[in-house]
Amino acid sequence: MNEAGKQFNIRDYLREYLFPHFLCPGCGHGIALRALLWAIDELDIDKDRLAFVSGIGCSGRLGAYIDANTFHVTHGRPLAFATGLKLARPDLEVIVITGDGDCLAIGGNHLIHACRRNLNITCMMLNNEVYGMTGGQVSPTTSSERYTTTTPYGNHEPVFDACALAEAAGAGMVGREITLQTPGLKDVLRQGLAHEGFSFIEVMSDCTEVFGRKNDLGSSAEMVLTQKASVRPDFLEDAVDQPFRPHQIKTGVLAKNDRPEYAESWRRHIEAMKRERGHA
Amino acid sequence: MQSALAMQPAESPVNVLIVGVGGQGVIMVSKVLATLCQRQGYQVKQSEVHGMAKRGGSVFSHVRFGETVYSPTIPLGEADVLVALEWAEGLRWLSYLKPESGIFIADTQQIVPPFACRDRKHGAGSGYARESVADVIAQVANCYAINAGQIAHELGNTKAGNTLLLGMMSTTLDFPADDWREAIRMFAPPKAIDINMQAFDRGRDWVETHNPADFDPGQGIEMPIPVEEVAHEVEFELPVINRAWCKRCDICVKFCPERCLSLDEQQIAVLHAPEMCTLCRICERLCPDFAIELKYRN
Amino acid sequence: MPDSAPTKTVNLPGNHACALGAIAAGCRFYAGYPITPSSEVAERMSVELPRVDGVFIQMEDEVASMGAILGASMGGMKVMTATSGPGFSLKQENIGYAAGAEIPCVIVNVMRGGPSTGLPTRPAQADVMQARWGTHGDHPIVVITPDSVPEIYAQTIRAFNLSEQLRVPVVMLYDEALGHLIEQVSLSGSGDIEIANRKWAADPKPEFQPYASGDDLIPEMVRPGDGFRTHTTGLTHAENGFPTQDPELVDQYMRRILDKLEIHNALIESFEAIDTEDADYLVVAFGITARAARRAIKQAREQGVRVGMFRPITLWPFPVAAFESIVGGKHGVLIAEMNAGQLITEIERYRPAGCRVDGLNRIDGETITPRQILNSLRELADNE
Repeated sequence: MNEAGKQFNIRDYLREYLFPHFLCPGCGHGIALRALLWAIDELDIDKDRLAFVSGIGCSGRLGAYIDANTFHVTHGRPLAFATGLKLARPDLEVIVITGDGDCLAIGGNHLIHACRRNLNITCMMLNNEVYGMTGGQVSPTTSSERYTTTTPYGNHEPVFDACALAEAAGAGMVGREITLQTPGLKDVLRQGLAHEGFSFIEVMSDCTEVFGRKNDLGSSAEMVLTQKASVRPDFLEDAVDQPFRPHQIKTGVLAKNDRPEYAESWRRHIEAMKRERGHA
Repeated sequence: MQSALAMQPAESPVNVLIVGVGGQGVIMVSKVLATLCQRQGYQVKQSEVHGMAKRGGSVFSHVRFGETVYSPTIPLGEADVLVALEWAEGLRWLSYLKPESGIFIADTQQIVPPFACRDRKHGAGSGYARESVADVIAQVANCYAINAGQIAHELGNTKAGNTLLLGMMSTTLDFPADDWREAIRMFAPPKAIDINMQAFDRGRDWVETHNPADFDPGQGIEMPIPVEEVAHEVEFELPVINRAWCKRCDICVKFCPERCLSLDEQQIAVLHAPEMCTLCRICERLCPDFAIELKYRN
Repeated sequence: MPDSAPTKTVNLPGNHACALGAIAAGCRFYAGYPITPSSEVAERMSVELPRVDGVFIQMEDEVASMGAILGASMGGMKVMTATSGPGFSLKQENIGYAAGAEIPCVIVNVMRGGPSTGLPTRPAQADVMQARWGTHGDHPIVVITPDSVPEIYAQTIRAFNLSEQLRVPVVMLYDEALGHLIEQVSLSGSGDIEIANRKWAADPKPEFQPYASGDDLIPEMVRPGDGFRTHTTGLTHAENGFPTQDPELVDQYMRRILDKLEIHNALIESFEAIDTEDADYLVVAFGITARAARRAIKQAREQGVRVGMFRPITLWPFPVAAFESIVGGKHGVLIAEMNAGQLITEIERYRPAGCRVDGLNRIDGETITPRQILNSLRELADNE
């Protein structure tokens, strides 16, 4: 039940004539999309005011399925487009859907500066550890030793911790969640959407058909259960077993700060300046 | 109101039974009371059981005071005052109250223990106590029921609910209010003294301005609803599977807690055991293809 | 700029004239990245935009600034960015997006010597081909080359009008020498400026097709928030805006975005012809080089050689019809350009039989002088 007293029905937010969608069987991106739309429904955001900007890759295609203003832009650049869109149209709720390659490799520069600038944009990064659409190449988040079509002898590069990066770059809110915890993921996304400033949410998705198969990780159910075992929810932070399980990936809302939102503080600055100098 | 103390013959002790669940502050209430009685020159015996030293377990404490006290425990039907920090715990000890004059002071907040959940089905009834405030009023001589937890929450700290009940209890024993406050100061955490003082005053005021059995349902007191009334409130219909959208990934089959989904000969998900379905919605939430829907009734 | 602003004449460098032209045209969003010799455009915009409630932002890189202006344009604003050679290269992918998804925008390229970092502080005209074919695939684009500071001002306004009307990226292409040249410019009062705006879709019906067009081949643009909730993509799309690989629909889409420039040629075509009627020879030059050519043809006539000049103002699409009507009967054409021979390839395509085509190319970071043009013209006449 959302704030307007309406029950969430995902079909209210879908372009149903495009279904079934193009994602492979068991792809975690679908669950993430549900969580995102669920969070939007709970906040009761008008669809006409919703603008989704997505990049290239499996993640980038999600936008097209949402019944809203959707922009499918160039590889790695959705945050740049979203920055322009949000500055031009502060009335829109701008949401970026991006992937690990789109956001951290080709678009890494835009990510850190979007975090630094702290515009009121919500960025949902779907991390499935692989370039799925191009056939399963290694990405900045591919786990160590994993096989991909471009790491035939196993991945030897270190992994990017996108949330640590976003926090260090100054993002207003940083969160991470697995798809299996759908209501939890919805809550993290909801907090991101409600936050005045740049919110970065990493969704630990799973690529069963390409990455999972290549690495013998089993069905989607097995992959998400493995994920569940590898994460540590934020509310367990101080629990006593922490020293014995130190390498777990943290989930939940990982960072929050109340740095001023860029566009709003800039507008106020300019208005004050104009008043001071006496010209409208 | 007439104090319980005044009603007692001088030679027999006053019996106060304090009950609740672990973590609510039953022990703190009894320590305050015991210390206060001692300072007033009475002999005090306090006997307590801390459940399993685990939050949520049953906890009770007997406090007896008078000129001379022999036994540390209160016999059945001999308690002058029963203070319950949790509704069902209070009901459990009602038989200890003096039938003619016993005073029941209860927080209506309900802490439902996990073992009270007998069925995972949505809307299924629990084993939690079903007696309403009205039912209890009919049974005891004097009943003061209040949603102390919520009032304390509004004051700023839910945990001060026990002090609010202390405030209510203080009106039943003939000790000066400032002595009560001093005793509370000794046991309340330093940071929470202000809130505890406020809670104490609220409790006292409430009793002084209300008659026994005069509880206000508008205060957010929600009592357990009997099973029969819940059953028709099930909000969803059984899952409907959109065969055109299902991509045969079987994630719903694997995660269904009741094992009521399976893949048919075309590898498409089907609900083969609808009678087992608890409408938990896990399949709907985990279907990456939005192919499963639990429709809302109405 | 208040509506009542009168025309006033000021001394301005080319890059500032470009910024003021943009403001006059209604540009309210600028995103850029500093690069010599275009940075003054950004600097002036950063002063002017807040005054007119516009948005200026310096982005983290060239790619981002191109992306940001497209985002703002999709949000409904008139937008511009400015750059130079290396930055122009970086922007190309998103320029392709603007061409494919038909997002109006103006890109200023203040040319410097290249390749690579090249000659950051020296002029060149070597981006003729990059301006036309910089982004991949067949695509529509309009390129405008002014030759003076007043023309930079006027043509920047026109660049916006074309971009908004045709839903096509427009490149303002001029060189370092013009960008830093200070000349007198009459800044028109706002009432005197002809401003064109994009067509906005107004009726959000369920069957609305965002990329369906009438005979003008230009679909109405959808403004987010107006209730259309459409999809915009860089993928080849059908009229409903969603990606398609259907050969018939792909062909329909490709031909429409290319043909729309052809059918609006009258709007786009723009050139200057000087003394071409009786001329035996023609100099073709644009931008800063045209200024030298103007003097050279005068001197040539004084020496008895009848020379005229054809100056494309709209460089791409090349004003073919106009050029062909003028070049007919000429004995020879000299193409003077500050590159190793780029525009000459286009001229050779339209050269009439028997007409000799010579190139005068300078690639040392210096402008072409009237004397060089005169000498080349003499050579052309002598060798005919």
